[in-house]
Amino acid sequence: MAEDLRIGVFVCDCGSNIAGYLDCPDIAEYAKTLPHVVYVKENLYTCSEAGINEIKAAIKEENLNRVVVASCTPRTHEPLFRESCAEAGLNPYLFEMVNIRDQCSWVHMQEQEKGNLKAKDLIRMGVAKAALLEPQEPIQSEMDPKALVIGGGISGMTAALGLANRGFQVFLVEKAPELGGLLRHLHKVGPSYVNADDLVASQATKVEKHENINLLTSTTVKAMEGYIGHYKVTVSSNGVEQQFGVGVIVVATGAKVLKPEGFYGYDGKRVITQFELEELFRTESFKAEHVVMIQCVGARDEERKYCSRICCMTAIKNSIAIKEQNPEATVHILYRDIQAYGVENEALLQRSKQMGVRYIKYDQQRPPEVQENIVKVYHHLLGRDLELPQDLVVLSTPLIAGEDNQSLSKLLRVTLDANKFFLEAHVKLKPLDFATDGIYLCGNAHYPASVREAISQALGAASRASIPLAKGVMTVQPIVSVLANEDACRGCGLCVALCPYGALEIVRTDKGRKVRVISVACKGCGVCAATCYQHALDINSFTDQQVEEQIKAFLSG
Amino acid sequence: MLDAGRHPKINLLSYCEVEEVSGEVGAFQVKVRKKARYVNEDLCTGCGACVEKCPTTVKDTYNEGLGERTAIYKYFPQGIPSTHCIDAENCRQLGQGKKCGICAKVCQANAIDFEQQDQMLDLEVGAVVLATGYDVFDPSVIPEYAYDRIDNVVTAMEFERLLSASGPTHGHLDRPSELALRAEVAVLEKDLNKVSRQIDRLEEKHGKKTAEFLKEFEAGKAGEDEDFERWATLAEKQTAAEKVLAPLKKREAAAQTAKNLAFIQCVGSRDFRFNRFCSSYCCMHSVKEAMIAHEHDNQTTSSIFCMDLRAVGRGFEEYKLRGGKSSNIKYVRGRVAEITEDEAHNPIVWYESTTSRQVDHETFDLVILATACVPSAGTPKLADLMGVELDQNGFFKTDPFAPLDTTRPGIFVCGCAQGPMDIPESVAQASSAAARAAEVVATVPKAAAGGGE
Amino acid sequence: MVIGGGIAGIQSSLDLAEMGIQVHLVEKLPCIGGKMAQLDKTFPTNDCAI
Repeated sequence: MAEDLRIGVFVCDCGSNIAGYLDCPDIAEYAKTLPHVVYVKENLYTCSEAGINEIKAAIKEENLNRVVVASCTPRTHEPLFRESCAEAGLNPYLFEMVNIRDQCSWVHMQEQEKGNLKAKDLIRMGVAKAALLEPQEPIQSEMDPKALVIGGGISGMTAALGLANRGFQVFLVEKAPELGGLLRHLHKVGPSYVNADDLVASQATKVEKHENINLLTSTTVKAMEGYIGHYKVTVSSNGVEQQFGVGVIVVATGAKVLKPEGFYGYDGKRVITQFELEELFRTESFKAEHVVMIQCVGARDEERKYCSRICCMTAIKNSIAIKEQNPEATVHILYRDIQAYGVENEALLQRSKQMGVRYIKYDQQRPPEVQENIVKVYHHLLGRDLELPQDLVVLSTPLIAGEDNQSLSKLLRVTLDANKFFLEAHVKLKPLDFATDGIYLCGNAHYPASVREAISQALGAASRASIPLAKGVMTVQPIVSVLANEDACRGCGLCVALCPYGALEIVRTDKGRKVRVISVACKGCGVCAATCYQHALDINSFTDQQVEEQIKAFLSG
Repeated sequence: MLDAGRHPKINLLSYCEVEEVSGEVGAFQVKVRKKARYVNEDLCTGCGACVEKCPTTVKDTYNEGLGERTAIYKYFPQGIPSTHCIDAENCRQLGQGKKCGICAKVCQANAIDFEQQDQMLDLEVGAVVLATGYDVFDPSVIPEYAYDRIDNVVTAMEFERLLSASGPTHGHLDRPSELALRAEVAVLEKDLNKVSRQIDRLEEKHGKKTAEFLKEFEAGKAGEDEDFERWATLAEKQTAAEKVLAPLKKREAAAQTAKNLAFIQCVGSRDFRFNRFCSSYCCMHSVKEAMIAHEHDNQTTSSIFCMDLRAVGRGFEEYKLRGGKSSNIKYVRGRVAEITEDEAHNPIVWYESTTSRQVDHETFDLVILATACVPSAGTPKLADLMGVELDQNGFFKTDPFAPLDTTRPGIFVCGCAQGPMDIPESVAQASSAAARAAEVVATVPKAAAGGGE
Repeated sequence: MVIGGGIAGIQSSLDLAEMGIQVHLVEKLPCIGGKMAQLDKTFPTNDCAI
């Protein structure tokens, strides 16, 4: 190695998260003994502004050319430390992070001595790798300033309008012949009892008239290739295919209502779903006088553990509609927990109670029984069975994932959760982004949501999607796959088949068939490098050599 | 958080308040008061040397008053910006007119500036986003929960600080009664030490032990010395103090961390006397706190007293079930009627169990009140300044189909300022509010027509 | 201008700033972070709040 290695190690106490369980001064002393380490500092919080300033100062004053921080997880803090190195004039990829919190102090709280030894092992490995790090430059790519919104329900329309109003070209693809999605089948929308049709119509008109929106109804997405900034989309409208390019994609495909076959004698006539009740309202054919609603039908059970969030509100909303139409009608809602969260829902719940809607809690182990003209339910407070008269039973069923989710998730290379809803990048901090850059989500495609929530999420997704569009240029972390040894590559294509991000392709070169990495699409997961039996591919900052040195360092301890 | 502090396009104005707003959408003029920190932001490195030496301690609001901080302080360890700040009211030099200035002496960066004044800033902005959050409901107005009378009844936010590794107890579930006891012992010990030191000096001066002296003194054989009266009084004080201290120290040594916890839901929410609305996040918050407490100590058991347990987000129901199965959490349906206390400072929860149809009671180590999310105290004043309306609960008013728009064009709202919601919803709303604000500020002019509500 | 430096205010500011819009983020306390910075962990993943 030509340059003189000068490694700086920063050991973070993380308050007491690390220092409470490990002997940080001892670990810092140990770090001083490692090869090429010329500077060691222990910080109360390395990530605090004071800690960062210490890193920067040390880079300058001690001429550090590699920095190792032993602290928490790179997931949250690596970008910050890298950037701090860059601000001090050090290439940010000459930085290595060692996790002595999540992987050490937290898991070895009960055995601190061993934890201490492990922290030293980890740091020794980090330092060994740091010695081999090489500078990298971020990869940049132009953006195609257009967006694709998949789904023309309230979420999709709102997201499309949000983007179009910012001046971006939007393709809005809806598989049905008309816009509106689930709302087209609803009667009124809570909490303000606006006609669902009016709401759909007002949004649809804006979408249809908007000069920046290219509306494609009766259309499905057939194929998709590319990556953020450069997606090539193939859609099919009534058998006619067309192709266009977009920079970002918003998934707003909605969800569908569970048909409760086999539950409580569901027949679609005397025992119907809330969704079918809405249809009765729409066609003004609702006549029942004794209505019993049963909540959590097909939800919060063994098969579908999740709570569908909106069914309690739907039941409350419809119970009020019944009472408004006929104050003499009886409405009983049999529930497990009434999920009237928030301000508006709780207000509606109170209102329905004042109007005479009766709520009875039932036990999952002792569900109600639907019999001819009555529903039998065990009443906890009375301690006995009640027989409620009924001429209509309404089952509140959950929203379930759309049947296209599976195929769409494969096309877009994004993940679904256990219930086949689309899964966001981070439950708290990135609720509208996918892990794959350039793809965003909102509305029922993500998880059941009220109209208010769907609109809010749709505008949010539009905001997130507009960020790369507004920037015009995409910058990608250079921790990507590289064809380190072109001669070794035989163009077998095994890596191409396994890449989950579509970031590899086989091209013909003078030397024959070779793999090519589409760096902008690569996430640096390493599947290709691990698969390549010729060791032709490497991952920047995780090269075979670097990893081998880490292992050697571990074994030398 | 750190990203916001570093972003070149974000001008971070912390310790500032809006005082005046005029103009209209696209061109608002705003006057902002930048409150004096008495610390020069450009010079302070956030090293904390001043904090180590500051002689004044006050209750720490970040730790919900469970811990202490000095008069010169940083709001919390990872806080952005890391610039410290002097709490003028409690500072000896600024607030009490005494001579001090220790911080200025120890500050190597010369950042302390006792002469600093509030500054007024004039800003021109196109749109405003209100993200002023919420306040935790003050449960002391609920007489039956005795929050202000029973030490070991705490709010969920206080409990959060007790659980936190960076909190006042370093994550040990010490009960507030024990914290109070410890503080009492510390004060008594300090006094006792003072007395003992004086006695030590007298013993040295006169070359005899106190016991010996007292024998002589009581027998009238001690002779005449100006010290003797004082010595006798001090000795008396010492004995008295030791007598008081001994049982307290015994109790302190016997103190155990809280292991049997009760969470009470809907404190100030879904209660017609206070707030009719549901605060949305508290059910899940309690489940989480119970789970974390169990993670800290797997002997911990928790009972969550609730009307409905509202777990309505992705993975929430599953989380709730997991808590029940593997974190010793019991969900009890019933509204708690009263909390009383036994001699050992253990709170007793009285409730009607709707499943057994009986009034029941149970003794716990600690009771946690899941307090409501209420509009932050400054909301009415800010609404007035901004010229926007509030809803009947005092949150910023919005329309269900335009959930980010306040009643005044160009002013948007997100998060709990609009109503109670959990973190992902706040984050999603924050992005949406940004989209609405960007439509006003950065719309490509040609596309301005067509409006989204 | 964004008033309030909690999680909502921070996210809103970041989105706007990333779009290239100049943002003034006003917070009445000495540090940003808001209520979320007081939380220890968050549901349903028990992730650290800071």
